[in-house]
Formats: sequence, structure tokens, C-alpha cells
Amino acid sequence: MKKYFAATALALCFATSAQAAGELNIYAWAESISPALIEKFSKENDVKVNVDSFTSNEDLLTKLQAGSSGYDIATPSQHFLRVMIDQGIIENFGASKLKAYENIEEKWRNQWWDETQDYSIPLAYGTAGFVVNTDQYKGATDSFKYFFEPEGELKGKIALLSYPDEVIGAAQLYLGVPFCSEDQAEMKKVLDLLMAQKPSVAVYSSDNIASRLASGEVSAHFWWDGDSLRARKTGSPVKLAMTKEGLVGWMDSYVIPKGAPNHDNAVKFIEFMSTLENATEQMNFYSHSSPMKVIEDKVENTKETAPELYPDVPITFSRTCSAAAQDLVTRVWTQLLQ
Amino acid sequence: MTDSALHAPAGLERAPRARFWHDLSFWGLLPSRLLMGFALILPIFIIAAVSVATRGAYGGFTWDFNLAGYSQILFNEGWTGELEFTPQYLLIIGRTFLLAGATTLICLLFAVPVAYFISRQPASRKAVLVYLVTLPFWVSMILRVYAWMIILGKDGTLPSLLEQLGFPAGMSFMFNDGATLTAMVYTAMPLMVLPVFASIEKLDGTLIEASHDLYGDRWVTLRRVILPLTAPGLVAGAILVFVPALGAVLEPTLMGGGKQMMMGSLIQLQFGGGRNWPFGAAIAMTLMALVMLFLIATALRAARREVRP
Repeated sequence: MKKYFAATALALCFATSAQAAGELNIYAWAESISPALIEKFSKENDVKVNVDSFTSNEDLLTKLQAGSSGYDIATPSQHFLRVMIDQGIIENFGASKLKAYENIEEKWRNQWWDETQDYSIPLAYGTAGFVVNTDQYKGATDSFKYFFEPEGELKGKIALLSYPDEVIGAAQLYLGVPFCSEDQAEMKKVLDLLMAQKPSVAVYSSDNIASRLASGEVSAHFWWDGDSLRARKTGSPVKLAMTKEGLVGWMDSYVIPKGAPNHDNAVKFIEFMSTLENATEQMNFYSHSSPMKVIEDKVENTKETAPELYPDVPITFSRTCSAAAQDLVTRVWTQLLQ
Repeated sequence: MTDSALHAPAGLERAPRARFWHDLSFWGLLPSRLLMGFALILPIFIIAAVSVATRGAYGGFTWDFNLAGYSQILFNEGWTGELEFTPQYLLIIGRTFLLAGATTLICLLFAVPVAYFISRQPASRKAVLVYLVTLPFWVSMILRVYAWMIILGKDGTLPSLLEQLGFPAGMSFMFNDGATLTAMVYTAMPLMVLPVFASIEKLDGTLIEASHDLYGDRWVTLRRVILPLTAPGLVAGAILVFVPALGAVLEPTLMGGGKQMMMGSLIQLQFGGGRNWPFGAAIAMTLMALVMLFLIATALRAARREVRP
């Protein structure tokens, strides 16, 4: 709720600012873009910036599918970005010819979700795995085994998210089942694993994770790298498990929806956010990793102070599942919680 | 009988009938009619239409007639690849009805004595008490549920209190059906107390005295006099509590720990990550149909009671 409030307050601030030359409507994850940078952009270019926030990729996709959303910039995750390109609901704005493209780290250019890199410029990436309360659990955390097949003190003290996406992905990593598998037998194995884990699970919830973990109500929670980092910085005894099977990855990118009313301002904003200096400031604000080149000695979350953001295990990015594969995921989840 | 009454229905003969747009009440009621039409009736038709549409691969739907959404409630492809009877959705539907029913019953049990007590107070105190009953509505529902999490959760108010009394430390009452039910009863209680209070307040005290004069004991008086006379309030309260309880998402997720799905979260999953809108719409229509049956049954029973001499 706080996030909505902040976003609304922010939107209101800009809504009441003096008559500006142009407008820019951004639709992004709640509190994902630095308000200071938005204000700077707004002042420098005399553009009135409105920010709305969404809380799931599905919400964003639905809104863009409906057409004429009025947004100039959106920030989908990689697997939804692919769908948007395939469905033709985002603009080819020649991103690969922009200066911003030169500022993307080489290893993050031209990924499978946008091979030509004409539709998007990345803004942040991160991982999901399990986070433990180190006051309560002193055991090993180098494998998903301790999370999905808990023994001893973790029994009954485990929490998962309330929706299947990343949780099923992690279970697939552990079992060696490929993401978006359409193989019934493989997905049955995923279900069996989660069913066997269920008696040890206290709660399936995506709300209130920080306090549940900090208070010791649960000892291990499925969570995001950046959130875990922020909790640790505010004094919670938490640690992101570096599981040898890998972590589930996501990467959010700026895209321009088809028919965006302020196309030029959108490109200007993406260029603005992608300069070395601003990308660094944005990374410090968001507490996630940046796929952009940044000024190393201005980065607050370094390898030493924020190991969460520099995993030494492989990152596997969530894929765009076919309807058949998605049905298997939904079926596993419904049978688990039936 | 007078002449004019014989000529009924009079409306047909009233000549010449004014065109309806000359009628002030037409314009007066127009805003509410439009609001009802666009905000209540139209969305239901849209949901009904989506429930028989064909799903899109990435959410959404296409306008091709398809009953897959409904057949999926009962039959699905099993893990062996064959179409088989799947009881899981019926289980979820049944559990939801059980939870809503239990909430309604517990609310009734608590609300009747409370309403009776309030109705027997002097007028000034009565107003204050009714105001106090509505007080929780001033706070957002999610905050009320969070308050219960603080009371029942680890190191919460209740576990700490029990610890003081010598019970073992570290107890938690969260994440089970009891916790869900507690929060649901709490959030729904004012909805039950108010209509019950309204009908009990109108209860004529002399009728109770009359019952006692006719050698009716307390039980008989309650059963034969008080309950029949306050039934409309009880039924109204039960409907107000039962119907929203069917769609509850917040309490089962936050208090119950989301370990067992309810219909609300099932529908949410289908429209969200499940990307199967027609199925989600079909479940919603099924829920609506079941509620409708429940309401019709209640209305019929109430009607029969009125006819009875």
C-alpha cells in the first residue's frame, strides 16, 4: 500500500507542476525508478513526467494488449518482453542505434528476448532464491536441497511465495527439469517434490516477507536478491542462499508501447537513464544489479558490501512458456494447494 | 368496491399516456439506472461472455464459442495424459462454502445476544453502542487483518499473554483454518449485528410478556415468538455475511497461510499467471450461480413463512 501511496504522491507532485512543454507517461514496477532522476529529467527537458506502477507482468501485458494505454514507457521482465515483441504491441525504436545501447554491458546485449536489441534497453536485473534467517538457521545453504527437502530445524519454518512462477522455476532448477517443460512426467516430479515439502511449509505468501523472516516466524523464505539486501542493510539477520543449482533470474527493460503519444520524450528518457552517471545513481536507488555500464567507484552496493547482487552461481532467466507448459505449471500449483 | 377499482388495471386506460421522457421520475432515476447498468449488469454479461470464449495463448481471449472453461471445472487431463474426473476444483468450491457457512453461523451466534443487549439499553447509550459496532469499518480491512496477525502471530499479544500465565513460550496461532475463521468473523461481524439489531429493536416487548403470560418458558418464547419475528433481520445479516465471505482472498492468504486455495485465489490465479481467462470467468459464473441458488432458496423460504397463517 505504501508503494501505491508513494507512487500516487509522486504522480500528484508532477501533475501539479507548472505547464510543461511535453509530457511523458511511465508505467513501471512500484518504486523502481529513482524519483530524483525523474525530477532531474523533468527539469532539464521541461517535460511533465507521470509515473504509474504495476505489481505483476500479467497486469502490464493485459493493459498493453487492450491498446491505447496512453503510456510512453513500460518496464516488462524478459519473458513478457518476448511476448510483447511477438504480439507486436511494442515499438521498434531502433534501440541498437542509440547511445544507450553502447552503455549496455557487452554480456547483456542481444539476449534471446530481444535478439536485435531494437525494442528494449535493460534497466535492472536480479535473482530469486531462498533467504535464511541466520540467527535461526546455521546450516548449509549451498543447495536448494535444504529448502525443498528440509530436515531438522527448517521443518515447519519454511515459506514460499503465493504464486507459482519463480518457485516452480527454482524447483525445476533443483530437479534439472528445463523451464517451461511440456513433459507431464517431468512436471509430475516437480509436483511430488513440492507436495513432499508442503508439511514443512508454514505459509505460502508474498506479503510481509521482511518482517516474517526478521521476526523468526519462519527461518527460510523464497525471496528476491535486492529485497534481501535491503533487509540486511537495515539490520535483519538474513542471507541469500547461493545455491549451486543456480538462481532464477529476471531482467526488466524499458520498452515503448505501440502508439505511445510521446515517443520522442520516451527515447530521450531512456537515453537519459542510460548514461554512466545516471545508471549508477539508478542502481544505487533500486538496490538491484545493473545491466548497464556504471561508474565503479560510485557504486554503493559492491561485491564486498552486497554479495547478494554478485552471485557466483549460474543465473537462469525465466522463459516465456507456451500455453501447454503454463497449464502444467498452473496444474502443479492448483494440485499443491487444492 | 368502487367503480374505479373495477376498472383496474387503471394504467392501461389512463389516456393519453404521457411519453416516458416527459416523466420527471424517468430523468430522476436515469443516473442510477445507468450506473446499475454499466457498473453492475454489463460486467456480469461480459464475464458470462468470456466464460464461453476461447483462451488466448498469452492471456486474453478470442470470441470463439467454447465450453472448455466449464468442462475444466470437472474434467481435466491427468498426469497420464488422459481426460479424467478431477475433484480438486470441487474441493476448493466446497471448502469455500464451508468456510463462508461457518463464518455466517458464528457471526449469528455472537450477533444475536449483542444486538439483543444493545436494543434493551436506554436510547442515548444505544446510539453510542451502535456507533461502536460500526467503528471497525472506519479502518481499512487490510489493517484489521494485520492487527489480528499482530495479536495471534509469533511474539504477539495472545502468545505473550499465555506465556505470562505459564504456557510454553513461542506459541503461534497463525497459519491455520482457525486463524482464517477468526479474522473472517471479526471483519464480518458488524454486517451481521446491524440488521439483527434493527429487527430486534422493533420487537414488541409486550409480545414477550404475553408469551410468558401464556406459560411459555424462555426457550419456547425464543423459538416461537422472538425468532420468527426477527427472522428477516437474521436472514438479511446472513446474506450480507455469507456472500462476501465466498469471495474472501485476504484472510485465507494472510491468516491461513495460503496453504489451501479458496475460490477467490483460484480465480485470481487463472486471470493472472495461469493465463486462462475463460476458465477463471467460468469459475466466477459458477460461484455466482451457486450464490443465486442460495438467495432464491432463502427468498422462497421467507415467502412461505409469510403465507403461513
